[in-house]
This record gives sequence, C-alpha cells and structure tokens, in this order.
Amino acid sequence: MARAVADIDPVEHRPALVTGDDASFHGITETVVAPVEWKPPLGWYLTFAVSLAFLGLFGVSIAWLIWEGVGVWGNNQPVGWGWPIVNFVFWVGIGHAGTLISAVLFLFRQKWRTSINRAAEAMTLFAVACALTFPGIHTGRPWVDYWMLPAPNQMSMWPQFRSPLMWDVFAVSIYGLVSLLFWYVGLIPDLATLRDRATSRVRQVAYGIFALGWRGSMRHWLHYEKAYLLLAGLATPLVLSVHSVVSFDFAVSQLPGWHTTIFPPYFVAGAIFSGMAMVITLMVICRVVFKLTNLITPLHFDRMAKLILLTGTIVGYAYATEFFVAWYSGNPFELFAFTNRAMGPYAWAYWIMVSCNVLSPQVFWFKKARTSIPVLFVVSILVNIGMWFERFVIVVTSLHRDFLPSSWGYFRPSFWDIATFLGSFGLFFTLFCLFVRYLPMVAMSEVKGVLPQAHAHGLPPDATPEKPIADEAPPRPRPGLARPEPEGSPS
Amino acid sequence: MAHDDAHHEDAHHGHDAPKITADRVALPAGHPLRRLLPVGGAVGALALVATFALGLGHPHELYSSYLLAFFYWLTLALGGLFFVLLQFATRAGWSVVVRRVAEHVSGTLPLFALLFVPLALAVGQLYHWSEAGAMDHDPLLAGKAPYLNEGFFITRGVFFVLAWSLLGWWFRRRSMAQDTSHDPGATRFLQSASAPALIVFAVTLTFASFDWVMSLDPHWYSTIFGVYIFAGCAVAIFSLVSLLSMALEKGGGSKSGGPSGGPLAGLVTVEHYHDLGKLLFGFVVFWAYIAFSQFMLIWYSNIPEETVWYRHRLEHGWKAVTILLAVTHFAIPFFYLILRRTKRNRPLLAIGCLWMLAVHWLDLFWLIKPAVGAGPMPTLLDLLAFLGTGGLFLATLAWLMRKPATVPVGDPRLAESLSFENM
Amino acid sequence: MSQPLLSRLLSRLPWAKGGDATDPAELRLLLAEYESPGALILAARKMRDAGCTRWDAHSPFPVHGLEKAMGLKSSMVPLFVLVLGLGGAAAGMALQWWVSAVEYPLLVSGKPMFSWPAFVPITFECGVLGGALGAVFGFLGLARLPRHHHPLFASQRFERMSDDRFFLSVESDDPHWDRAADLLAEAGASRIEEIGGDGSVKEVHRGSGITSGPTSGTAADTAPGTSEEA
Repeated sequence: MARAVADIDPVEHRPALVTGDDASFHGITETVVAPVEWKPPLGWYLTFAVSLAFLGLFGVSIAWLIWEGVGVWGNNQPVGWGWPIVNFVFWVGIGHAGTLISAVLFLFRQKWRTSINRAAEAMTLFAVACALTFPGIHTGRPWVDYWMLPAPNQMSMWPQFRSPLMWDVFAVSIYGLVSLLFWYVGLIPDLATLRDRATSRVRQVAYGIFALGWRGSMRHWLHYEKAYLLLAGLATPLVLSVHSVVSFDFAVSQLPGWHTTIFPPYFVAGAIFSGMAMVITLMVICRVVFKLTNLITPLHFDRMAKLILLTGTIVGYAYATEFFVAWYSGNPFELFAFTNRAMGPYAWAYWIMVSCNVLSPQVFWFKKARTSIPVLFVVSILVNIGMWFERFVIVVTSLHRDFLPSSWGYFRPSFWDIATFLGSFGLFFTLFCLFVRYLPMVAMSEVKGVLPQAHAHGLPPDATPEKPIADEAPPRPRPGLARPEPEGSPS
Repeated sequence: MAHDDAHHEDAHHGHDAPKITADRVALPAGHPLRRLLPVGGAVGALALVATFALGLGHPHELYSSYLLAFFYWLTLALGGLFFVLLQFATRAGWSVVVRRVAEHVSGTLPLFALLFVPLALAVGQLYHWSEAGAMDHDPLLAGKAPYLNEGFFITRGVFFVLAWSLLGWWFRRRSMAQDTSHDPGATRFLQSASAPALIVFAVTLTFASFDWVMSLDPHWYSTIFGVYIFAGCAVAIFSLVSLLSMALEKGGGSKSGGPSGGPLAGLVTVEHYHDLGKLLFGFVVFWAYIAFSQFMLIWYSNIPEETVWYRHRLEHGWKAVTILLAVTHFAIPFFYLILRRTKRNRPLLAIGCLWMLAVHWLDLFWLIKPAVGAGPMPTLLDLLAFLGTGGLFLATLAWLMRKPATVPVGDPRLAESLSFENM
Repeated sequence: MSQPLLSRLLSRLPWAKGGDATDPAELRLLLAEYESPGALILAARKMRDAGCTRWDAHSPFPVHGLEKAMGLKSSMVPLFVLVLGLGGAAAGMALQWWVSAVEYPLLVSGKPMFSWPAFVPITFECGVLGGALGAVFGFLGLARLPRHHHPLFASQRFERMSDDRFFLSVESDDPHWDRAADLLAEAGASRIEEIGGDGSVKEVHRGSGITSGPTSGTAADTAPGTSEEA
C-alpha cells in the first residue's frame, strides 16, 4: 500500500496512524465491527458480570438512601457536603476528556483522534449519567427533583436561578444532551455500516432505524460535515463552561479555599486531566481485548500522555498560585485553609493528591514512559485517584475547619458513601460493556477518512475549478518557486 | 471529515519542494518596514524624552503612564514568545511560514530589559506599598513585606526581563541558525526545549503581572490575574503576527520580492490567515471567559476586600470605560471574527486585528489607571509614553528584521506550511 | 424484498418521499461503482460538466474535493445554528429575568432582582443547546433524513457504500439520463447497475475499474465471501 509522502512528518517521521497489513478501508471495517458481530471474548463476560454486580450495589445503595434518608451518608455538621458532591465533580470531570477528544482535537485538526473519539465520547455520556445520579439522589426528597425544572406549577414556585446549583442542573444536563447528539451524529454512518452488514432481520431493523436511512450521499455529507464542525465548535466552549459552572459551586461562596478566582480554568484543566487518564485506562484494556491494536497505537498513547502532562502541569500551576496568593492575601483564614490541608488532619489526603497529580505524571516527560503500556495504565489510575482526592480535599478541608474553631469537626464516610461510589463504577462499566458489545467503538468512517488512500492524488486539474474569492489573488509568479498547483501528470 | 492538513497537489513532495532560499525571503532594501527603524527610533526617542520632560513634576502620573506603555508593548513581545513556544510545543506545521515574524517580535524582549530600568528606579513613585511609612499603620501590608519590598521587587523584575530576553533571543537565534544548516535536529531540540520554556513563561508572566499590575492595589488579589494578562498577550500576538505578515506580503519592489510582492507574497495564504483568525477568535472568547469569571465570582461573594477593585472601575466615570471594554473587547469582535468571511479576507481581518490591538490597550488602561487614581480619560502623558515605547519597540523590530530571512527557510515543515489548506 | 406494511406507511410520510423524485414507482436509477476516491471525483466532474442534475455520489466517508467536483453549494446548516443559538440564549435570559424580576421576585443575599451576572451561565448553556439542536435538526432537515427507504437499497452491491466502495447514482428524470451510463462507464466504473422502479436490479456494465493516482484501494481488495452479482 503506497503511503503518501505527506503523511510522514519530516522531523519525527511519524508512523502511519493505522498500522498493520490490513490498513485498508475494508480492513478497518472488519476490525471494528468484529466485536459487534462476533461473540465477545471471555474477558467481556467477566467484566460485564462484575459491572452488573457493582450496578446492583448501586441500586441497593440508592434504594436504601431513598428509604432511610440522607442520614445514611456521612454528611453532617460541619461537613454538609461530602462524598456525593466529590463523586459528582469526579464523574463530570472524567466526561470532559471525551468532549475534548471529539471536539477540541477535531478543531485542531489532530487526525490521531479518530481511533479513540467514539469510545471517548461514549465514556463522556456514561460518566455524565453517573454524575447526574448524585445530585439527583442527594436532594432528600428525590421524588420532587422535578421542582428544579422551570415548569409552571400551582405553587407559583420557580427555581432559584441565582444559585450555582441551578446552573449545574442546566449545564450538566445540556452537556449530556449535546454530547449525546454529537456522539449520535458521528454514529450515523457507522450504524449504516452495521445495517448493511447485518445478517439477521432484527439487527438490520435495529441498526437501520437509528441509521436514519443513511446512504453516504455526498449531498448529505456536506451538511453532515458542517453540522459536525459546528457541533465541535459548540461543544468546545460548552466543555469549558460546564466544569467552570461546577467550579462555581464552590467559588461563589465566601469560604477560604473555595472562593478563589482561578477555579474555573483550574477545574477545566483538572477535568481534562482526569478524563484523559480514564480514556487511557479504558483504551489500554479495550485495544487488547478487542484486537484493536492496529488502530489504537503507541502514537495515540504518546499524544494522550502529553495531554496529561500538559493539563497536570496546569493543575500544578493552579496549586502553586493558590498557595502563593493565600499567603499574599494576608487573609489569615485563607492561609490557614492551605496550611491545614498540607499539615492538618487531612494531610494524608492532601499528599496522596499531590503525589498522584503532580508527581506521577512527570514520568511522561520521557517518551519511553509515554509509550509503555504498563506505565500508562498505572499512571492513569494514579491520576484518577489523585483527582478524586483533589475534589475531596477541596470540599472537606474547607468545610471541616472554617472560621469558627468551635465548629470544627472531622468527616468520616459511611459504608453507604463508599457503596454508592463504588456502585457508580458499576453503572459506568456496565454501560461501557454494553457499548462495546453493540456499537462500533471506533469511528470507522472517520478513520477511513484519514487514511492516505482516502485522498485523491494525481488527478488532472479541474476544468471548471471553484471560482476564487476576490481577495484570494493567485500567488504571484516567483522565480524559482513552483506554483502550488498540480503539474499535470500523476507522478 | 478529519481534514488532511497535508493534502496538496503533486508539486510539493515533502523535501522535494523547491527550496526557498534566504535571499528570496529577505526584507527588500526599499521595504516600508525598514523605515520603521529610523522613524520609530526617532519618534520613540523624542516621545520618551518628551514624556519624561513633561512628567517631571508629576512623578506618579509619569510613571503610571510609563508603566502602561511599557506593559502594553511588553505584552506584545511576550505574546511573540508565547507564539513561538506554542508552535514548537505542538509541532505545528501550518504556522511555520509566519513563525519567523513572531520570533522577531520575541527578539525585542531585551529592549524591555532596558526599558524596565526607569520602572525599577521609580518603584517608590508608583507603588503605594513602597512608600515610606505605608506599612507602619497597615498590618495587612506589613504582612506582605517579605514579598512587597523594593529590593526583592526589583530583583524579581530583573530576573523576569532577563529570563524573557534570554528565551526570546535564544529561540530566535536557534531558528535563524537553521536557515543555513537545514538541520531537522534543530527543530527537534527546540521542540523539546519549548515545553520547559512554556513553564518558565507561565510562572514569570504570572508573577510579573502580580508585581507590576496587581500590586498597584496591594490590598487586592486574584489568583486568576496571571491568566487574565496571558489572555491579553495571546489576543495581541495573533493580531500583530497577522498584521506584520500582511505588511510583509506587500513590498517595496526589489529583485527578490518579485514584481510588486513583498518577501512573504505567495507564501502566506488566506489559509494561514484563517487559522490566525480562528486562534484570535478563540482567545478573544477565552479572554472574555477569564474576565467574566473573575468579575462574577467577586460580584457574587460580595466581599468588600475584593469588590473594591471593581468599585474603582465603576465609579468616577470609569463605568463607561468598563462597559466600553466589554463591548469592544468581546461583544463586537465575537460577531465579527466568528465569520469565515472575515478571517479569509485580508482587509477585513486587518481591521479586526488593528481593532484588537487598540482594545488590548484599553484593557490595560482599564487595569492600571484606576489603581493609580487616574481619571477615565487618557492623558497626553499616556499618548507620549505610548509613542515613546512603541516607537522604540517598532524600531527594534525593524532592526531585527533587516537581515534574516522572513521565513524559517531551513525548517523541515516549511513545505507543509506552504501548501496548507484549511477545513 | 417486498416492503412490509409499516415500511410502506413510513415511506408515505412527506419527507420520506425525498422531495426529489417524481413518483417512486416510475423512477429508475443507474448505480455505478468505483474503486477509489479519485475515480469518483473524475466521474463527478464528468457528470457536473455534462449538466446532469438528478444524481448523487455515495461514499463511506466524505471525500475531500468531491463537493467541488459535484459543483455543490455550501451548506445552510450554519444559519440554523446561528438563529437557534441566539434564540436559545435570548430565551434563557428572558426566562431567568421573568422568573426572578417579574413573576416571583425574591431577595437573595442582597442581589438585585435582575442579577444578570448570575444569569450568564444558564443563558450561555441555553444558547449552546439551541445551536446544537439547530446543527442536528438543520442537518437532518436539509438532508431530508430519516428516509429509511430508498430505491438504492435494492442493490446488494450498494451495501459496500458503507464499507469501501464509492458509488454514483443517477435518476431517470435527469436531463442526460440517456447518456448517463456511457458517462459513468467512461469515468472508469467497475460496475453499473440499473435499478427499476419495482426494485429489480440488473447489471448493465462491467468495467476494469480504472483507478487514478498511485494511492487507491485495489481491485484485489475485495472482501472474502462477497457474492458476485448474478
């Protein structure tokens, strides 16, 4: 298979995005649909069984919570916000990497995203689902959660739009919906592939309904590409805004350690940081179990690891700035909040956070680490642990010791705090298992589109080229410089 | 839909592309930008002398005007450094053809080491916390003394300007060396160096903003302040690079530039401006996001220690400026730069870039002047200081541009950049 | 296969008729298969230059340059996004203003009734939602999808549209219908089928599958087990 010279970066001699003998359009189709069309491997069944078990735990925890009330959790004075909000922020944060990969990397023309964006977006949807359960169940009377929606009612009651918790309702729900739409639009051509290959009527109808009758028409692709680009353009500020809104939950307060202006970009960077780590964790497993190693290659991990290093450094910058300004401000409460984090009763949590978030990603300065599967797997898990602890440290340390020493306390999670959190992983992995079983986990049409043979090279010049726009004057003839137009004959 | 950014017709095949030689892209002898050297130098020197002459009796006003001018042109130079570091860190191919311009801009940083001297000498005139006796009755300020004291302040300042000068000069020099050596190893090296350099950039910029701008109001603080200044630098540099590239496309007519084209004519295409425009738009939105976050959080918690900073900008006539800033720095550019048409049309984009450079000044004016108790109208001193520092900046830029190639001719990704097509 | 009742009902829906066919029962289609994107582009240029109007190109991914080769105008989706996006933002702000300042004003920590800084996040989110809905429904509306039934699906070869082959279809109400088969064959179609209004498919041409350029999927790149057309 000839490879266009254009795809080899002259500096780093980047390998092809798709490796292996079967790097053809059909090869990609076969590789990607195999997990969907064939019986899944044993690993899938085991994972699914374990996930279902944890999902069951989730169900039981929620049922018990609704029956007994919020008292089953460890939340109490002075720490009125405990694990549930930490878990909420944790899951929303994880979701953001999916949108980054789908939308932001698309806008930056990073072709390597095409092998992982489908799974990453799916991860976003499932993470948002997990995230939304926590505000849903923590309200004390979850059966009147609908009061949070601005629907006219007989009590003349309306939501309090000035509250950041209301902003969360809108932001996270809209984020879920827009991510769903973006993911679905991307799926349409691939669902058509599954429909066309379906061997049973049930599959043909099931995939066919959602494929919307897609027939690969260029007239449709034109609208599709525009919609995709605009969705990417909308999803990018959306991602920034959602985690900023989540950070507002804390930053609009007057609590030392919470009220600081850097929270919005700091939280966004942290979200991408943890989400990218989760993508790596999932991809390390999936590519081996589902034989996608030619599509998800060391190059992809190299790029993801660099993003982890970048966002981890931004998070580190935020830690340092906060610490400095806590001193600079001269506000004794602010300074105490930070010294308490590092040296008070929760110092253990703080140092777990620092070592996982700031220290562990430093290995990614080395290319060897960025492309070593064991290192990637271990660091990605450490990062997620660290990011959970970051939210824990932020929430709990500022609450357990605020302005009045007589109100100080110590928070301990209850069994049901832990059970609910672990159970949420059950929901996440169950959904993810179902996803890889029934839907193509790589965006086939996108990957095909970045193959070298997807581009028509060596064509004769178009007799009726597009009329140039007035400002685009043709390049002036310059001695010694060939015009950037085809010479004529194919090489 | 993942558009191949290296899609091109057959004429360019990576290294087989016809080599663009350094004298093809050298600045022609009669090019208008060359005139910036004598003109800018003269205007700059004269204006600066006039500034100091006029301001002698009013040191507080003098140095606040000087600070504003210094900081404005500094953010352009720092933006240049950011542009260069960013393109290397991201291994970008599209931008190679415009990167040299940014390298020249960042090469002016040593000038700011010189221009820092008056500020260093006048700390006492400008910063309230350095006044004698300021800390005696103010325990809050006294607590900041380990950081806000003249000696450490000046030391830090010297460190920042030297660090920037070194980075700017060094990256430019390495890139220029590649013009003759054509060694891809240079690119690899600069790529590796750009990441730690970015960290140094971020930390120094943050503390410089804290020191020179935020401490004008020493009781106030905001952790996002460094990011806010950075956003302004980014907006400024994408505007400046676009404008300079357009200026270099036009020419003074000489043997090297072709009939009436400048050194960049035919090399920088509408595709590059589209990308520069997209990045400019993105950073305009980013600036607004940071500015709004800072404002809304402080407004919401309503803590007097913090809100006082905004109160200064909403009273005594400053409210109009605040509204003007929001409208001109965000609302108008948002709807203007979002259009594909604007970004792909040189005159339209140029208007947008000039506009952003102007409102960037307004942003810094709004940051600095209320903190020194000035009124909302710019003064003659502001204008003179602006011309003074700006003239010297442009003269330095012209001096840096006079010999080297305006395009990194030895960069291995140049061919990719020349044939770049947008989405 | 014959259409079940539900399918027939669905195909009667106004948008399912496609808006571009006369009467589905009388419509015939030519379906040409090509083996590379380059061949498809050349064929498209031929069709465009010949003045054909009722034709389309089909591919498993959007082929770069094909829209120019077909002479297509750019998409109107951005307009939907703009209108619905601004509308959404306005609606979000209006809702919050009305609820907080008009309908049930509540004094909350001394903030003004129209606390616009606090209303910005939701306004922004509603704007994005509007824009996203505009993008998706604009795209579906302009493409007239969903359309689950189309005569093209009668061809079994067409199943490779979503895999690795490139197709060009011409409808019988095109002004150059008579020449269409020749044009398509000249451009290097590896196979041309005619699909009748009753869903019957017959092959009218088998070519060598001329590819263009050094990069292409080769004729040998056929999936194992693909049945050859009768």
